[in-house]
Amino acid sequence: MEFKDYYATLGVEQGASDDDIRHAYRKLARKYHPDVSKEPDAEQRMRDVNEAYQVLKDPEKRTAYDNLAAGVSSGGDFRPPPDWDSGFEFRGASPHDDAAFSEFFSSLFGARHRPGGAQMRARGEDHHAAIEIDLEDALHGATRDISLRSIGHDENGQPRLQTRTLSVRIPAGIREGQFIRLAGQGMPGLGGGENGDLYLEVRLKPHPRYRVEGRDLYMDLPVAPWEAALGATVRAPTPHGPVEVGVPANSRNGRKLRLKGKGIPGDPAGDFYLVLEIAWPPADTEKAKAAYRHLAQEVPFDPRRNLGD
Amino acid sequence: MKTVAVTATLVGKEQPLSTGELARACGAEEAWVLQLVRVGIIEASGRQADWCFDSAALRQALAARDLQRDFDASLDAAALILDMSNEIRRLRARLRVLGLDADGR
Repeated sequence: MEFKDYYATLGVEQGASDDDIRHAYRKLARKYHPDVSKEPDAEQRMRDVNEAYQVLKDPEKRTAYDNLAAGVSSGGDFRPPPDWDSGFEFRGASPHDDAAFSEFFSSLFGARHRPGGAQMRARGEDHHAAIEIDLEDALHGATRDISLRSIGHDENGQPRLQTRTLSVRIPAGIREGQFIRLAGQGMPGLGGGENGDLYLEVRLKPHPRYRVEGRDLYMDLPVAPWEAALGATVRAPTPHGPVEVGVPANSRNGRKLRLKGKGIPGDPAGDFYLVLEIAWPPADTEKAKAAYRHLAQEVPFDPRRNLGD
Repeated sequence: MKTVAVTATLVGKEQPLSTGELARACGAEEAWVLQLVRVGIIEASGRQADWCFDSAALRQALAARDLQRDFDASLDAAALILDMSNEIRRLRARLRVLGLDADGR
């Protein structure tokens, strides 16, 4: 297990005041905010920062941590940490999201989060995770296995990490940012209380060909200049199979052709847009050059006529 | 390792969250959800006694909770931040559709 230097994570001295720690945390929370940050690993960094802050803002946890840190020689006997990023992500870091944190955190503080006393009856807390799916899954529905890690307890009552795999049916028509709710898959209840629920926030993986906006899909469709100028019927691949589409005569670059209802299914279903992209044949042979020269001679055309002078 | 098959429901029009469920999902009290509705951070459908919330409301509520927790933001400030954040996301999605990223490439 890796020893985590929480002070270094927040960039503060070991003797930092609560105020310093809070300010350092807020600065980093802004820096790695998903809407603002350009760093590719912002999400992981934010998770580390959250974990460090959960410990250092709490006087009890901080003291326990300081005591432990005092006994650690650098490069000590900690095993390397497991890969925390594979297959799942937790966001945020309220006490409800402890499972997002490292083994180091869990083994130190995992047990303290369980209110003791067998007489107490309480519903388990709800948990949150994100699930990344392919656009095809949103279009057609799919069943996906997800692995989740949570803090459980062994026979001696020691906290330890557990991995479980859930098989989740993803309904067709799901969109980015929607939540799938898995009843009873959150934190276990106490004293016979109900389990909490698990909420999965859906994220769409970027697609190499299609762009997504809400339920609508966009795809660039390359056309030859004469197809755009004269009109043509061309074949285009769509997620629902190839279609023949009519390109109207005198189409300009960027013109959108709409295939109604061919986007992500739903009520109403999204549309599929083909964005025309005129591709010019290269003038790299004598024949091609002659054809361009011929066009220039035969067709009076000044693309800069509106620029004045 | 054994795989567990579980019932998944999509949080939406057909299977919305109640006020209590939304509060619990955010680790908060029902009174807090009431405040979110009053400030306009989330929208409820139905009568107040059996309000219904969709995925968008859950996302907004979780984000508001984070802003309060991380920055001690007031709900009014959180509402403004969320409005701007949603606008940024909308504009970025537009840019992506146009084949651009936020830096104009």
